[in-house]
Amino acid sequence: MRRRKLLISTTILLVIGLHAVPVLHRRERGTLWPFMQWAMYKNAAAPGPIQAQKRRIIGTTSKGQAEEVTTHLLGLSITVLEARYLRPMGKGDRSAARALITRLNRGRDDPFVELRLESETYTVSDTGIVRQDNPVVAYRADSADIEVTH
Amino acid sequence: MSRWLDRWDGYWFPPTPTLHLSICRVVAVATQLFWFFPSLDEHINFLEKNTEFIEPQLLIRGISALVPRDLFFTPAAFTALYWITAVAGVAALVGFLTRPSLLVFALGIWIFVAHLFSYGDRHHTEAVFCIFLMLLAFSPSGERLSVDGVLRRRRGRSAIHPEEVRDSSETAIWPLKVVHVLLALTYFSAGTAKLLTGGLAWMNGYTLQSHAFVDALDRGFPLGLWVAQHHTVAVFLSVFTILYEVFFFVSLILPWTAPLVFLGGLGFHIGLYATGGYDFFQHMVLLALLLVFIAPDWWRAWLNKYLDPILSRER
Repeated sequence: MRRRKLLISTTILLVIGLHAVPVLHRRERGTLWPFMQWAMYKNAAAPGPIQAQKRRIIGTTSKGQAEEVTTHLLGLSITVLEARYLRPMGKGDRSAARALITRLNRGRDDPFVELRLESETYTVSDTGIVRQDNPVVAYRADSADIEVTH
Repeated sequence: MSRWLDRWDGYWFPPTPTLHLSICRVVAVATQLFWFFPSLDEHINFLEKNTEFIEPQLLIRGISALVPRDLFFTPAAFTALYWITAVAGVAALVGFLTRPSLLVFALGIWIFVAHLFSYGDRHHTEAVFCIFLMLLAFSPSGERLSVDGVLRRRRGRSAIHPEEVRDSSETAIWPLKVVHVLLALTYFSAGTAKLLTGGLAWMNGYTLQSHAFVDALDRGFPLGLWVAQHHTVAVFLSVFTILYEVFFFVSLILPWTAPLVFLGGLGFHIGLYATGGYDFFQHMVLLALLLVFIAPDWWRAWLNKYLDPILSRER
């Protein structure tokens, strides 16, 4: 029993101690699951309007079919979709749109020829939640241009 | 020195009914199998649409170093792994070859979660629960409520191995206690990170309003939209969040507070889910297990105090 307790004690210390690794190794902290740093939602927001944005990318294929570009369609997580495509495309980044269309069309019979970034801004006001539609940013695969439409 | 060792022993290894840990095994394995089990479709989709990982987890890097990617990280291999994990899970649930089954089951789940988090996204919900599943494999969680237990008792009844029948063990509570410590660590880490990064301004109400608004809008949670429109409620909930996260560890130092802290934790997570869809279901399961089994005397005393008078009145 003494030996078993010693082994278990070592396991306990190891499991608890390993949680220090992501804190000490900043570079590796995102890749040590299940030993993680638990700093989530840590940033404070300054007093001011409470706002949120809803964004989506709608793709149109060469046959004219419209389809929403989802994480499942892309095979990417929402974090990567946001960071690589949604946010840059919202700022008019053509290379992000081009990379997205290339990725989407890999092995497709009916390729996407246009991507439209649609978004709305919601704001908390005294009378409730106010919705404001933002200009649509459209990107066409053949023209290599970004077109902003309303 | 020996005083410290006695204290260590007293904390981690008190004689505990093996039935408690066996119930924990059944609950943890059943919830993982029927509630949190990985989606094979999601994994195959990632494998088919990505030729490489975005941010491979340590476990995935380890596997990749041993087995070529095109051999293991394929839809066929993951389908096989999926079914091996499921079969091991069923065996662990009924307690057949409990320890090896639990080990295979936990390892399978670890691989699936680590794989999912190797594509640039990761979440906190699974970590402690998965560690608990793995620890169960190294504890006598199959002593009761198990095929192994039935077989052992039969052998015991035939008086060949009577010593194998164990209703109580000194090693039947430590996995739950580790979970308690890990939850204290994780909540403390989450709470202090908010205070160190956001400062006291984290509790200004606007922070929680913003988080709740963004996530409730995205995930469709009306209660979160309501919180986002009520500043005073957001201030109150922010203060509660910080106090809860930073002071959860008190339940380790003052054991009598533990059941109340666990109950508070369940409320905290139900609230988080209802307002923003923060689905810490695994933490809820762990908190419920801790609530029932870390301080069973608390429950007994509470039941004796409040239930006995009612029952005697009925009689």
